Amino acid sequence: MNKLAGAVFSLFVIALCSQSTVRAEPSAELIARAKKDGRVTWYTDLIVNQIVRPLSEAFEAKYGVKLDYARGDSQDNLLKALNEIRAGRPVGDLVSVTTGMHSLIEIGAARRYVSEGVSLIPAHFRDPKGFWVAPNYFVMTPAVNTTMVKPQDIPKTYDDLLDPKWRGRMVWKPNDMSGAPGFIANVLLSMGEDKGMDYLRKLSGQNITSVQASARAILNQVIAGEYPMALQVFNHHAVLSAAVGAPSQWVPLSPAAVTVSQVALIQGSPRQAAAELLVEFLISKEGQAIYQKSGYFPTHPDVPAPWPELSPTGGKYTANVIDPEIITRDLEKWNGIFKTMFR
Amino acid sequence: MVFEQVSAGQKPRAKARGNLFAHRLEQKTIISAVVGLILAVLVLPPLYFLFIGAVTVDEGGQTRYTLERFVMLLSQRGILISTFNSFVFAIGSALLSLLIGGLAAWLVERTNAPLKSLTYLTNVIALGTPYVLYTSAWLLLLARSGPINTWYRQLSGETGVIINVYGMGGMILIEGLLWSPLVFLLLGATLRNFNPALEEAARMSGATTWGTIRRVTLPLSMPAILALSMLVFIRTVEAFEVPALVGLPGRVHVLTTDIYEMMHRTMPPDIGSASALSLILLFIVGALLFWYSRLTRNAEKFATVTGKSFRPNQIDLGAWRPLAGFALAFYFFLLIVLPAFILVWASLLPFYQTFRSQAFPLLTLDNYRAVLNSPRYISLLINTLLIAFATASAVMLITAISAWLTVRKAPGARVLDNLGTAPLVFPGIVLGVGVMQFFLQVPVGIYGTIWIIVWALVINYLPYGVRYSYAGMIQLHRELEEAASAAGATPFTGFRRIVFPLLTPSLIAGWLFIFLLATRVLSLPVLLSGPSSQTMAVAMFDLWGNGQGPELAALGLMWSLSMTCIAVVFYLVAQRGGGLQRA
Repeated sequence: MNKLAGAVFSLFVIALCSQSTVRAEPSAELIARAKKDGRVTWYTDLIVNQIVRPLSEAFEAKYGVKLDYARGDSQDNLLKALNEIRAGRPVGDLVSVTTGMHSLIEIGAARRYVSEGVSLIPAHFRDPKGFWVAPNYFVMTPAVNTTMVKPQDIPKTYDDLLDPKWRGRMVWKPNDMSGAPGFIANVLLSMGEDKGMDYLRKLSGQNITSVQASARAILNQVIAGEYPMALQVFNHHAVLSAAVGAPSQWVPLSPAAVTVSQVALIQGSPRQAAAELLVEFLISKEGQAIYQKSGYFPTHPDVPAPWPELSPTGGKYTANVIDPEIITRDLEKWNGIFKTMFR
Repeated sequence: MVFEQVSAGQKPRAKARGNLFAHRLEQKTIISAVVGLILAVLVLPPLYFLFIGAVTVDEGGQTRYTLERFVMLLSQRGILISTFNSFVFAIGSALLSLLIGGLAAWLVERTNAPLKSLTYLTNVIALGTPYVLYTSAWLLLLARSGPINTWYRQLSGETGVIINVYGMGGMILIEGLLWSPLVFLLLGATLRNFNPALEEAARMSGATTWGTIRRVTLPLSMPAILALSMLVFIRTVEAFEVPALVGLPGRVHVLTTDIYEMMHRTMPPDIGSASALSLILLFIVGALLFWYSRLTRNAEKFATVTGKSFRPNQIDLGAWRPLAGFALAFYFFLLIVLPAFILVWASLLPFYQTFRSQAFPLLTLDNYRAVLNSPRYISLLINTLLIAFATASAVMLITAISAWLTVRKAPGARVLDNLGTAPLVFPGIVLGVGVMQFFLQVPVGIYGTIWIIVWALVINYLPYGVRYSYAGMIQLHRELEEAASAAGATPFTGFRRIVFPLLTPSLIAGWLFIFLLATRVLSLPVLLSGPSSQTMAVAMFDLWGNGQGPELAALGLMWSLSMTCIAVVFYLVAQRGGGLQRA
């Protein structure tokens, strides 16, 4: 990963760089060993009925290896994995999180894995040391309730959020990259420390409401009319809701924040070959097409976003991929800023 | 106390009893030791991990002992405000739920008020409704965009709100309503087994109905009411959902939301600080429990079920009867009709919006179809029912014996009572981590199965079982067992053939109560469930987090309906079997 402090990546530039032609299939030998394992256990933070189940059905059908999954938030998954490893009895074979992967890597609980398949994923979507790879990413932007906000009032720049008319009318969640800390991170990384802090100080005067719920539930409150605008939600959620008639619209402020969903293998887990095969499947074109079909942004350069205009690669807006290493380093700082200025 | 003179069974002389029952006391000691061991194995490991977690720091594989977390916590700005808020919130919610649930329980159990079956049903349905569903239903009703505020705006032409739910008032209101059914069921067990002879005596001596309530019923119910207040107070101090969803948007912080923030600020979650704060809570709760146990030291004063036969009598409300009926109807309206109305509305929409005529064309049954067409819910259903059944049965069995030993002051009784009540201090996630670590280090092969969830839930619900069993037991005078003993029965036979049957109404009520709670609990299954041991609450949480509120409403309504059916069938069967004859 780029070692420049505070490094940010402009996605659409990178996406233009590579159109791979290499076909990477898992070796027959890996498949044979995985079949011998028979099953694999995945601690995932992805939503079961949206994406995990279609992935598991396709994986089982293709390889005849049973995929057991247990769904929890990043915190739950890490707790489980860390405790199992500390007790010397890993049960999970692989784990996915959006925040906190470093705590697995630091205690030597993540297993390095590099392969031809992994190398096809753009560099900013995988760990340079091979500890994790991201099969998908999330784009975080504001979204508005279209019955409460007139088209001409929808903000076009970050400065528009400082307009007094928004005072007391915006909402976010207080934790994680899909909440206030993610928004703060994006502001500081894109505007720089001084200008960014200055902006945040002004924003804190806007009296933003914090609601302890998932980003999706926050958007639902906006749709229900509880608040006119959410500051940090998944942009494709607003589109999915609008498709069934909900009064929701995402707001393409540049740069938007992008976070990645990281998958890592567990050191010393009972079914290592099957775990490797699952990683290969998740990042294969076939697996990536399932992500795409389920409304998630795939990372494979050959598999386009489900709605091209929603992705920063569509050229409508720019985005920062917020590097997991920077999250590790600065999460505490962003939380502190939230606590002192917005709580 | 008035009652001591009236109580039929005077204490037999201790000396005589000592000679007569010496060898039988030994049996009690053995039972006491066995139950104590079971409780210790359940409760102590998580306590141990709580303590170790709070005072150790892992630095590159080296373990260091420290009190720095306590220093950090106690010196933190805002922690005093949060503590104060927690107390206000807990006292307010406890009072409100005692008032609402207690009044309903008294009307149903002790008066000739109409609509009793409806009130029972109200509480059973309310208890079978998952927390996240109930809280969000109330938020939908009272929110800025909810029907009440919307109608207010339409009628008044104002742009503001008539009710601002986000704040301390809203928190207390919703939490108080959530606890009312639990208070109803817990207090009902006490009131139901109440010997009316004392009240009759009072009234025959010329006391008015109100005077009887004030001078006989209330003082006699005091231990149960105090125990219940303590329970609700402690659980509310630990409550998380309502403070998070209702308090935080209004910038009201309490200790649990502070813990939550603490756990989510760092990765991996800072279990150490959470454990330290739990220990501080433990200290506060311990002090309260100590104070409480001093208050109720002479439990025998409160025994009302003695060797004399008794029939529950009911206070004739006379001209007040219609008003009581109205109050119970309102209780039903408040706890069931209003939330159900908004949930049915939500379940018929493709996405949630407030109740208004423009949304009528959108109404659809798609959410119900989605739920019914998903085969996954079958295995979740089986897991959930199995877990709840096993949990409720184990808790009531252990606590019935333990309450008997405690009330009869068997050797080590105080220890049993304290062990059974100790789990009150565990916030869900801390208990979950403790149980997980225990089974990872003691490999007996239940990690990742539903049985680890049962284990954790048994610990979690022990205090409820204790309260139910204790409330029932405290009213059984020892003269019944002494009669059995004089006739040659061992203490355990006395327990099995006399105490247990007499306790049955309390035990069944407790079983049902824990069964329903166990079907809807979330925090422990989320952490402890493996791939093949998922539960319904976890699935519901997924739906909530995933923004499928309408599908959640549909699933939740069907789920609550089936839980209600199960509860009603169970209730009828138990009644036919004679267990609830006096209910």
